[in-house]
Amino acid sequence: MTVGALDQFPVGMRVLAVDDDQTCLRILQTLLHRCQYHVTTTNQAQTALELLRENKNKFDLVISDVDMPDMDGFKLLELVGLEMDLPVIMLSAHSDPKYVMKGVTHGACDYLLKPVRIEELKNIWQHVVRKGKLQKKKMKQISVSNGESSEYSDQNGVKANRKRKDQYEEEEEEEERGNENDDPTAQKKPRVVWTPELHKKFIGAVDLLGLEHAVPKKILDLMNVDKLTRENVASHLQKFRAALKKIQDDANQQANMALANSHYMRMGSLNGGFHHSIPYGSSQFHGGAATMRHYRSNGALGRRNSPAGMFQHTSSLPFSNNNGRNILQGLPISPLGELQTNNNNNNNNNNRSTGFPSFSSQQSSLMVAPNNHLVLDGNPQSSSPGFSPHFEMNTPLDEHWSNAVSSTNIPQSNVHSKPDNLEWNLLCDSASPLIDPNLDANPTSLYGNTGFGSTNAAQPDFFDLLEMKQQPVNNSGPVTDAQLLSSSHLKEGLLMGQQKQQSGFMASDAGSFDDIFNSMMTQEQSQTDFSGGDLGWLSTLGTCI
Amino acid sequence: MQRQVALIKQSLFDQGYLDEQFMELEELQDDVNPNFVEEVSALYFKDSARLINNIDQALERGSFDFNRLDSYMHQFKGSSTSIGASKVKTECTMFREYCRAGNAEGCLRTFQQLKKEHATLRKKLEHYFQLARQAGPKETARRPK
Repeated sequence: MTVGALDQFPVGMRVLAVDDDQTCLRILQTLLHRCQYHVTTTNQAQTALELLRENKNKFDLVISDVDMPDMDGFKLLELVGLEMDLPVIMLSAHSDPKYVMKGVTHGACDYLLKPVRIEELKNIWQHVVRKGKLQKKKMKQISVSNGESSEYSDQNGVKANRKRKDQYEEEEEEEERGNENDDPTAQKKPRVVWTPELHKKFIGAVDLLGLEHAVPKKILDLMNVDKLTRENVASHLQKFRAALKKIQDDANQQANMALANSHYMRMGSLNGGFHHSIPYGSSQFHGGAATMRHYRSNGALGRRNSPAGMFQHTSSLPFSNNNGRNILQGLPISPLGELQTNNNNNNNNNNRSTGFPSFSSQQSSLMVAPNNHLVLDGNPQSSSPGFSPHFEMNTPLDEHWSNAVSSTNIPQSNVHSKPDNLEWNLLCDSASPLIDPNLDANPTSLYGNTGFGSTNAAQPDFFDLLEMKQQPVNNSGPVTDAQLLSSSHLKEGLLMGQQKQQSGFMASDAGSFDDIFNSMMTQEQSQTDFSGGDLGWLSTLGTCI
Repeated sequence: MQRQVALIKQSLFDQGYLDEQFMELEELQDDVNPNFVEEVSALYFKDSARLINNIDQALERGSFDFNRLDSYMHQFKGSSTSIGASKVKTECTMFREYCRAGNAEGCLRTFQQLKKEHATLRKKLEHYFQLARQAGPKETARRPK
């Protein structure tokens, strides 16, 4: 028997056999040896578990009896599947279909009846291969998705990416759990990926529960996602809280745009939908992203008022973009911190009064990273607000940003005056406080231009984080990204702004934003294509242009 | 001698004491496991003796916990099937039927029968193995070690 001399596998495949019946165990062992597998036997389920836990990579396959005194075979099956993700074959003298069904529902790869024949054992290696392939596929998907974000750069691409991303997300969610355990074929197990969809649900759950009462278990229940574990939710929640805290801390420091922020925040939530599209791209926004993500979902969840409404509030906010530059100043988006530098430049470039440009650059630090002085100046320098700088905007956005950033000379003071930007960011970012603190600092950068245009492209990293492959394109790039990062609110705002850039995106969203965007748009028209494709929200904005 | 052994084995099959599974086991016997079948048989009898004991005790207690009895018997049946102990297996099945029916009387009767078959098989197999050992290497052609 054995496979043929060509392929070593399945020869040497490592099997763990568990059966309390010594006779059967002995027979099974011999049979497996005859198949040229490497066999380890134990007549206790508990011992088997210990052996498996001790070294997950020690075995390729587990064969277990159903009726065992110390532990139910199905229970063992479940545990092995969950913890180690190894293929498990059930063995039993029961031919009752009920048992077979139970085996299947508990995740068994196969169900064999005693007495086992050697012919049946000769083919069990197929389960290992199958499982390995599945793992590989998942891994590939993950890496592909990650890689995709950097390719967002044109509308078509964006759309395609989005679709792909959705598919990926779906698969991800399905496979998430599966990826948790070790792959017998020694593949790295993919981590749970928090796709925008998933994050949206998470945010929804948190919203329902209220941040104070949001405990992983409840969130998990509310989210109702298959294969998501409490642990996944817990760690995600932790990150989310950390991001929020960071934002708040930043905001507290700045306190400028506090008020503005609130306005923005609302706007942000409205835009919630936008977040989706905003490519998180830059990982920098991590913190921001988290928040933004959250916000995004908020936005999506509750688009409470039309963005326009939100903006209305802030009409006083700089969004009017007159200042353009300073708008971002207010953005305390701390997460964007990194982007700040970039953003600032960008913002400057943008000249767009709308903070967005600055956002984009700011993305990382929408919160007004000091560096960015305000991109909002709208210095046309960068043409594309796209932050690129921080974000890994691979694309031209980077150039833009750098320009923008460099050009941001918006002095801190400007920033202040431009609460718009910041505010905007703040808005986007649920953490209104963000705006404040940062506003002083580098408000401009916050806003973002980062999000817009350029960010799109740049966002990849960030989004990767979120699995948002949406990168719509550089166009709105920077802003979108930045926005997203800074906070969900911010994102929204950014997105809006970005949209505008593209073509007057924000149209629907916010009245005031419109202004901002428009200004941004004009300046950054180059930004591009905000293909909007990905920027979901951008579309919603109705392409401000 | 070998022919004698073969004959005995054949009779065991004919009489229904053993079934194909036993033959499968013999297939597994090779240089690496020269006494595989005998080893497995020994294991089986050891295990089953223990099980029989348990069942005996349970029955003597008179409590007739059918679930537990059924569970014991399931195990018994499993190993008997694995070794190819045909008649024993049949008795096991009957016993379980009685258990499910809650028929204590039936259980007791069947169990007695089962014990008898079990003992008979054991004797016969032991005899067989003895002869086989005496006859030298297995009758199935094998490379001389």
